[in-house]
Amino acid sequence: MIFSGSLATALKIECIVEQTYGQWWQSLHRTMLRGVLGKTFRLVGYTIQYGCIAHCAFEYVGGVVMCSGPSMEPTIQNSDIVFAENLSRHFYGIQRGDIVIAKSPSDPKSNICKRVIGLEGDKILTSSPSDFFKSHNYVPTGHVWLEGDNLQNSTDSRYYGPIPYGLIRGRIFFKIWPLSDFGFLRDSPNGHRFSDD
Amino acid sequence: MAQSQGWVRRYAKAFCKGFFVAVPVAVTFLDRVACVARVEGASMQPSLNPGGSQSSDVVLLNHWKVRNFEVQRGDIVSLVSPKNPEQKIIKRVIALEGDIVKTMGHKNRYVKVPRGHIWVEGDHHGHSFDSNSFGPVSLGLLHAHATHILWPPERWQKLESVLPPERLPVQREEE
Repeated sequence: MIFSGSLATALKIECIVEQTYGQWWQSLHRTMLRGVLGKTFRLVGYTIQYGCIAHCAFEYVGGVVMCSGPSMEPTIQNSDIVFAENLSRHFYGIQRGDIVIAKSPSDPKSNICKRVIGLEGDKILTSSPSDFFKSHNYVPTGHVWLEGDNLQNSTDSRYYGPIPYGLIRGRIFFKIWPLSDFGFLRDSPNGHRFSDD
Repeated sequence: MAQSQGWVRRYAKAFCKGFFVAVPVAVTFLDRVACVARVEGASMQPSLNPGGSQSSDVVLLNHWKVRNFEVQRGDIVSLVSPKNPEQKIIKRVIALEGDIVKTMGHKNRYVKVPRGHIWVEGDHHGHSFDSNSFGPVSLGLLHAHATHILWPPERWQKLESVLPPERLPVQREEE
């Protein structure tokens, strides 16, 4: 008798606990939790959406880039901010004299910023002007020859050879900082170091 | 009249909203996560395209795995061709930076793979335009890692990263 009585009491208590717990959960679900979860999902959704739009913009149109290093002085100084466009790369419209951003051939995670001196098939003068015997190199198919404007202080194709066109990421055509130098970029200060065939 | 105009405007708004969400997300997914490609040519026989031109294999290309340019010896990868930037080629990674490779048909007998480069070869030696022709390729040209064959259905399989034993590097760069 006592046993069944305590069992009944236990069952009753359990029912009450479940009821209150269920009510508590329902009210939470209706008000707070749904709001928080909904907001989180919306935030994640917006982040993914804007992240994808940003990726498409940088990959296919262009973006703002900060350059570092002395290898393109005086055209681009250290810590200048420039505008790069990627349309020329996709339409294979890179010309001689363009300043391009490319992936470094020895470190794919870093970028280099140099001027295109020669396209495929061009003959490049590789010996320094003081040499008596001039030596030439032909740029192979699918490659470009890059040189920095600051010839004394630039690691470029004179050091690692021509780089494949596929490493080029974009073309720099406009400087936006410092404001004293705002505008389109100048031509190479080194004159013509190549001869066309 | 006003009702039909309202309907058109609502439809256009929904279309634009969907367009600006769906297209960038799809493009980003295909560029950064994974895409599918048909393999042409006989340079990777018998692993890919064993039937020649009758049936081209369709492979799953995984961009996410190579987002940090990490590849292993034996992986089948797709890369931008160093000789023709409009084309992608699919080959097997034979050696990583620092390894010394014994070449087959290259102008130098032994080549040390420079830093930031890899040596790729097709499985069908002699019918393959690979590092034996154009030398080591820069890791920056890496496009994706081919992980599975998706079509034809009888060739569904996971592509294994095995190095053919005769193509082991002469000397590895120990980590």
